[in-house]
Amino acid sequence: MFRPLPMKQVLIQLLKDDLPQASLSLAELGNFSPYSAETYAESFPEIPGTHYRGVYHQAHSRLQKIENHIQLNPASSSFATHVITEPELEQTNEWLGEVWERCSAYEEHFRRLTDEAQMLNQLEQALDNFATLNIDLALLHGDRLFLDLRIGLLPSANVPQLKEAIGLANYLLFSYMENAGHTHVIILGPKGEREHELTSVLDTAGFHALEIPPELHDEPERIRQELQLRRENLHQERQQREAAMSACAEELRPRLEQCRDILIMAEPYVAMDDAARNIGELAIITGWVPEQALHQIESTLNKTLQNPFRITATTPSREQHSQVPTFLPTNWLTSPFSSLVKQYGIPRYGEINPTLVFAFSFIAMFGMMFGDVGHGLVITLAAWLARGKLKSFTPFVICAGLSAALFGLLYGSLFGYEHLFHAIWLPPLSDPLYMLSMALLWGIGFMVVISLLYIHNRLVSGELSHALFDTNGVVSITLYLSVLGGIYNLYLTGHFGIIPASMSVVTLLTLLAFKLIETHATPGERMLVATIETFETLTGYISNTLSFLRVAAFSLNHVALAIAVFTLADMMEGTGHWLMVIGGNIFILVLEGAIVTIQALRLEYYEGFSRFFSGDGKEFTPLKLSLEGLK
Amino acid sequence: MNSAINQAYLKTRASVMSGKLVDETDIKSFLHAPLQTLEQQFGLGGLSDRGLGEAELNRVIERGLINTLMNELSILLRPLNGSARDILIYWSRKFELYNLKALIRGKLHDMPYDQIRESLHILPSLISLPHEQLLRTENVPELLRQLEQTPYEGIARQARRVFEEKNESFSLDATIDQRYYTGLLKHARNCDQDDQPTLLRLIGSLIDRQNLPWLLRYRFNYKLSPSETYYLMAPSGRQLQADLLKQLVNMQEITQILHALPAPLNEQLADTTSIMDVELAMGERLTHQARRCLLFSPSAVTRSLAYMMLRELDLKRVFAIIQGRVLKLDEQLIRQAADIKLEAQGV
Repeated sequence: MFRPLPMKQVLIQLLKDDLPQASLSLAELGNFSPYSAETYAESFPEIPGTHYRGVYHQAHSRLQKIENHIQLNPASSSFATHVITEPELEQTNEWLGEVWERCSAYEEHFRRLTDEAQMLNQLEQALDNFATLNIDLALLHGDRLFLDLRIGLLPSANVPQLKEAIGLANYLLFSYMENAGHTHVIILGPKGEREHELTSVLDTAGFHALEIPPELHDEPERIRQELQLRRENLHQERQQREAAMSACAEELRPRLEQCRDILIMAEPYVAMDDAARNIGELAIITGWVPEQALHQIESTLNKTLQNPFRITATTPSREQHSQVPTFLPTNWLTSPFSSLVKQYGIPRYGEINPTLVFAFSFIAMFGMMFGDVGHGLVITLAAWLARGKLKSFTPFVICAGLSAALFGLLYGSLFGYEHLFHAIWLPPLSDPLYMLSMALLWGIGFMVVISLLYIHNRLVSGELSHALFDTNGVVSITLYLSVLGGIYNLYLTGHFGIIPASMSVVTLLTLLAFKLIETHATPGERMLVATIETFETLTGYISNTLSFLRVAAFSLNHVALAIAVFTLADMMEGTGHWLMVIGGNIFILVLEGAIVTIQALRLEYYEGFSRFFSGDGKEFTPLKLSLEGLK
Repeated sequence: MNSAINQAYLKTRASVMSGKLVDETDIKSFLHAPLQTLEQQFGLGGLSDRGLGEAELNRVIERGLINTLMNELSILLRPLNGSARDILIYWSRKFELYNLKALIRGKLHDMPYDQIRESLHILPSLISLPHEQLLRTENVPELLRQLEQTPYEGIARQARRVFEEKNESFSLDATIDQRYYTGLLKHARNCDQDDQPTLLRLIGSLIDRQNLPWLLRYRFNYKLSPSETYYLMAPSGRQLQADLLKQLVNMQEITQILHALPAPLNEQLADTTSIMDVELAMGERLTHQARRCLLFSPSAVTRSLAYMMLRELDLKRVFAIIQGRVLKLDEQLIRQAADIKLEAQGV
């Protein structure tokens, strides 16, 4: 519970033909994490399934693209599995390719319809423009003997360069309107051999010709009706295409879901990557498994593999710990806390699993800072009602709410009212100094526990000198406690005390000596760095402890906010009073609730986690039957 | 780039970094320096011991080149903000445009996924396209549809038109280059008034180096018309201004064009016989101009850009030497690849 599960490095020796089946079986069990062991690269130089992997990736990519158009039902958590052979995978890939071709054609068609709709808009604006001109539009039409005339639009950015370029072919360009990044232009020049040259440049510049109807002046309404008709046709075409697309989706969905299942079953072999190696018909699979799952893996492979195999499990040496993945077991209650721990980082293999320490201290600090029976129960109720949205975080919020309610009982507070029932402990505002000293004691306890965790983690890693002498090690925590003892003596008797003073000096000098040994620099720089780091260790402990004053400060703040709400409410009467009380409580719940959550997390991450675990461990990611393992 | 402190800091930075640039003597000495020392010096430690194939070697070396450049760029970017920062980032986008061209060319010629992937540079996320997503597209229209969802939307739209109308890759490449250089000029014109003159001169030289060889190729290799050739030129070079370009595209022979160039460019190019020679000579001119900017430009951002341009050229040459030596190629061939003047046999 307090440590990651013990892991074993396994080597499975089997026949190459059994690799797909072994991968599938291991994925079904969900407790094998493939690991590329370079040590076997020489004896088993080949990596099987290269072609299989390529086909899988293409099929997977096609399915993902298709899913943007055709929504599939969620994959069933249990379905009859079988090994996917290369021909079956190729066939699936081929069929997905055909489906994607259809989807891509739809996509391209929709794109064309959008372009056409935009062109229609541009044309309509061009016609508006021409309609107001006092010219005979018939002159713009038909073949002319000497004049080559074109009307159209192109991206505005290309106009200056095009104007200059076509000038070389004796053409002129006039722009008469600009809108949405496009410029409407008239291009004219002498008819003749350079027409083809012009067409080529215009294509390169992205020129679109516009058809200006000659009868625009005479029958503007009819032209507009025609445009409207074209627009409606486009709309209709889009609707038809969408309907065809939905029909196509309905028709293809069952088979697509089958294909998805095939890819799910094919994925474990692909995910093996270079954790599976072979030489001729002999193959190996290397990876990590939790010690407790070893027997289950062996018996499953015994049942599913047709040919003989051999499984060898070794306990990783201390030197290998950096390569061992960390498996943090969770349940419905610890899962949200584990997620928040992972936000900071993954503990290294062998280090303490901080989830329980985090869960207990976070929940306690939230309650201390937000102690109110009413608010706590509202949070609990809200979390229960919103459990569909909160999902795995529901227990986290419920625990926070219950903790707030429990501390509410201790503080005697219900929706900010402090006289409705007698406090089991004491209302925070009745003795703020006592509350602050309690918060300091909590902080000292927290720091000591965190330092003990650090010492444990360093001992597990075999870093004895760091466990003893480094920041957060035995010497540091002794220094911290002796300074605290001295200050306490000073407070009680006016003297620091000989024992705390001598312990402080000895530990300080030991710490300094260790820093001097650890720092690699020139003598002057070494002295400077070691002195600063030693000083920083001491001030770090003190400032981190003082940080915990916020625990009491927020409990006082909670009461102060409630007083402010009641003062405002007392200025009103009747409904106004109760509206103010309710509104004020909602305000406290939302605003202070959020702030307290952030502050508690901050204390955990900065005062806690940063001291005892580096967070650079590797998470245990087992092979699973899903499409989420490979990206 | 208003702050005098930032200007001073950046100039000092560029000046300190310019110590890394190599001259001809250094380059020549690299031909015979111990390979491992050379690899170590340029962040490619252990390259020759890995027994890489030619394709993998190219990839590792290119990655090393771009990593070095991007690391140095990030140092120069730190004190910059606004338009000055934008222009340096925009300059570095050229590497992503190489990728874009490789992707389009690969899709156009139906090349296999792995082959296209091998030819792509790995770039920082700041300028990188979603390569995997683009690689998984199955044809050019789909690739262009995907590109329209990226910051390269403008280029993608333009490229789509060219593809639909012409369905050929060189027009796409030309359009992409033209858009890039036009964008670079636009960014330079958005910079502070104090930075603009020198920046425009430097970028003008860069554009000249691009324009002249491509003008010759479009006209004489691809047989494009004068107007289309002119259209594909990046506007506003330093010596090859619009009016001159218009005259040049109308000429019918390479020698005629080279003679019509302004002095001293025409003298420098008088002996060139091929487009490749023209390109090399223009490259030398650009190097000269960039070195002047790095030493004397009053604008810190111009110095930084000049440094990046020179550093890229240097690293390309150095990495060509390393690559050639790892592959045990003939020295004369390495000299050619690294643009070192060929020496007479036996000298």
